[in-house]
Amino acid sequence: MEGPKILFTIPYLNINVTETVVDTWLVMAVVTILCIWLTHGLEIVPRTKRQLAAEKLVSMVNNMVLNTMGHRYISFAPYIAALFATSMIGSLSSLIGLRPLTADFSTTLAWALLAFIMIQGNNIRLNGIGGWLKGFLDPVPFMLPLNLVSEIANPISMSFRHFGNIAAGMVITSLLYSALAALSSFILGWIPNEFVASIPLFQLGLPAILSIYFDVFTSFLQAYIICMLTMVYVSGVDSRE
Amino acid sequence: MPFVSIDVWTIIMQWGNLLILLWLIKKFLFKPVMSILEARENEIKNMYDEAEEARSTADELKTQYTAKLNNARDEADEIVKTAVKTAKNTSDEIISDAQDKATALIERANEKIEVERKSAINQAKNDLSDMALTIAGKVIERDINAADHSKMIDKFIEELGDAS
Repeated sequence: MEGPKILFTIPYLNINVTETVVDTWLVMAVVTILCIWLTHGLEIVPRTKRQLAAEKLVSMVNNMVLNTMGHRYISFAPYIAALFATSMIGSLSSLIGLRPLTADFSTTLAWALLAFIMIQGNNIRLNGIGGWLKGFLDPVPFMLPLNLVSEIANPISMSFRHFGNIAAGMVITSLLYSALAALSSFILGWIPNEFVASIPLFQLGLPAILSIYFDVFTSFLQAYIICMLTMVYVSGVDSRE
Repeated sequence: MPFVSIDVWTIIMQWGNLLILLWLIKKFLFKPVMSILEARENEIKNMYDEAEEARSTADELKTQYTAKLNNARDEADEIVKTAVKTAKNTSDEIISDAQDKATALIERANEKIEVERKSAINQAKNDLSDMALTIAGKVIERDINAADHSKMIDKFIEELGDAS
């Protein structure tokens, strides 16, 4: 298996722009166009299903943030929406032949690090730097190494979980394709016609069924999980009611 | 690139991309939808306020009308009572008037009857005296001097009248 290809290099700065980043731009474009299409011509009395869908989307995200993080963090909703949309559509992009951008460890690590920064930032904001540092000595100073490990393990587990699920789906799908191709050539190989023997007959149908789990279900689930974990961890340091 | 790799520039790019998308989603999805939801909420609140106002006005009007209605009913009762009273007074007057008049009429009639009776009696007395004179004259074949005997005849008639 290959990693993401480098599509071009920005000259002078020597920045490699990979497939992942370009796919992300595509996803962003799709999401933005979808948002603009959903919200054009909004009316106080909704008359189109389009508007109802837009309102439903927004209130779903708002409710999710409200239930998980509480009303103090309602301004987090657009971030969660952006994260969810990028993650899900980025993972689902494998359905149209793109390389899923979440199958690049750098992407999921970027998101997990952002969550890590927000967690620590929120902790410092609420408890002050002293309180934040003292938190590592809780409940006894002896726990310091364990606390550090648990804090650092958060972004690592988060990023590897997401990356692993999508990348594994990709790997399994391609393994399945090559296995089915081998099976096809093994069975049809007996036929002397060279063209008929080269038809990958068994690749028809079966991968689509497995794809429902490995691509569609996993994409949705992992997007949901990374959003949930981000929300839970960020609001988890807030002990206020 | 290797399958599992950490590329610093990709990480930075993905941060930037996520933040840009956050901004885009905020601008194109959340802001318009939230503002329309807020507008709707305000409108609904306004409608409720207006309905509440209308209801309180209606309640006020209702109390006013009820009070007016009660007043009107009292007034009507009063008017009817007065009318009945007046009518009764008038009818009493009329009746007593009529009674008075009737009494007066009866009295006058009685008086007249009395006068008539008296004149009739006198007439009858005169007639009788004349008849008595004539009969007596015939009986005694002699002209009775009416003037001489009228006293006696009158006495006779008087006794006759008393006997009758």
